[in-house]
Amino acid sequence: MLRSCVSRLRMLAVLGGPPGVAPLPAKDPWSPRVNPGAGRRERAAKPGCVSGDPRSFSSEVIHMDLSLPNPSWSEDMRLLFDQFMKKSEDGSWKHLPSYKSKFTQRTEDIKIYFPDAKLMKEKLSQAQLFPRSFEEGLGFEYAMFHNCVEDRTVCIFQGGPYLQGVPGFLHGGAIATMIDATLGMCAIVAIGFAMTASLNISFKRPIPLGSVVVINSQVDKVEGRKLFLSCNIRSVDEKTVYSEATSLFVKLDPKTRLT
Amino acid sequence: MIRRGFQAVIRLGHHRVLPGAPHILPRLNRTSAFGSSTDSLVSRFCLEKTDLKDYALPNASWCPDMLNLYQEFLEKTKTDGWIKLPSFKSNRDHIQGLKLPFGLAATSDKSDWRIFTRCLQVEGQGYEYVIFFHPSKKKSICLFQPGPYLEGAPGFAHGGSLAAMMDETFSKTAYLAGEGLFTLSLNIRFKNLIPVGSLAVLNVDVEKIEDQKLYMSCIAQSRDQQRVYAKSSGVFLQLQLEEELSQ
Repeated sequence: MLRSCVSRLRMLAVLGGPPGVAPLPAKDPWSPRVNPGAGRRERAAKPGCVSGDPRSFSSEVIHMDLSLPNPSWSEDMRLLFDQFMKKSEDGSWKHLPSYKSKFTQRTEDIKIYFPDAKLMKEKLSQAQLFPRSFEEGLGFEYAMFHNCVEDRTVCIFQGGPYLQGVPGFLHGGAIATMIDATLGMCAIVAIGFAMTASLNISFKRPIPLGSVVVINSQVDKVEGRKLFLSCNIRSVDEKTVYSEATSLFVKLDPKTRLT
Repeated sequence: MIRRGFQAVIRLGHHRVLPGAPHILPRLNRTSAFGSSTDSLVSRFCLEKTDLKDYALPNASWCPDMLNLYQEFLEKTKTDGWIKLPSFKSNRDHIQGLKLPFGLAATSDKSDWRIFTRCLQVEGQGYEYVIFFHPSKKKSICLFQPGPYLEGAPGFAHGGSLAAMMDETFSKTAYLAGEGLFTLSLNIRFKNLIPVGSLAVLNVDVEKIEDQKLYMSCIAQSRDQQRVYAKSSGVFLQLQLEEELSQ
């Protein structure tokens, strides 16, 4: 199991470009967003690349790993990140890269489950993976680490000012999005391409906007194509439990179409 | 069962609401369980005379289904008692003159905060939605069109974005129906994917109000109701906001 886990992680990382690629300069959040996907594609286009061909799409985009520290990260967030990177040195933990679009991560799988995806190549230039759709520091700032030995995934998360619900606190929906993203990653590492079937979240305490929290997720049970996962959201010192969640993810059957 | 994290707040809340009076459990009467009637909550929330931009209005990115259903409900606001809820950039704008009870109010009030569901403001990019509320039936309908920046699986909305839209609709319904403020729990069963750019209709009902909690259910489906996208239930904690002492 360890070998398959490692090979899946290698596949996630294989499309990743060199870490530390300089991020785009921060733009005024109030001005309309220039289509970032198209801009990057033009810059990265190699001679002879056929644009619009979905098979070469992934090679045209700069793979910028967004799960790396940037100026918006608070000190707490950086400290935690460094702690986990240190733990990754002996191989028991692994940092999981994260990109603007899921397309760059799972091209082969996506073609099997979404054969119509090639028809939407126009929209692809605009599409962004939801938690990565924000300017630096304004939305979701997060990094995920996977522990191959204990088979659990940890996400360190800092919620920015655009995730507000009750003034001063994170929106329940933003918390739900991060729980879904973390459990999803845990599921993907465990069994490959899986989708959320159900999500059950219990909110214990409101999370202040701008604070750093740790989401610990793990696989509880596997029954055929069903995966039962759970997670909790705690403060950095682990003394405060903010939320708890359980979920069911289902591994997709390549023979059944989703639409 | 009341979670410990909120217990102290509830005790404080009771103290503020009924000074000197014996401890009284909230009544089941939906309109006056917590002192403010739905009508007064709605009129304070809707802020008819305001310079604030209302994002819950049609724009060029709205698909034909969304525009048509919007017009239908706009008609119903004249005849059937429905109200179109405005949607401002921040929840602070909806509760002007009010603040969170002692112990919960944020120490700094940054002006760059934005409500999560209005985080992406370029038309059509993120959440395009409008909520209609029926005060006497305690129901809401949310017309939701997810944009390409809400993508999860290619061409479809991220599960988290639908969860957020459901939580947001629950949140506004809970507040106006009974001063519900914080989400206590959310249970979502996903059935089908929502294609990016298409219309999802969320129907929310208040099932009951008990023990200072509002219980709601929601079903998200296509306009013709042939395709159910997800079903969910949510529980919110009732908490009365306080008047700000100085302006």
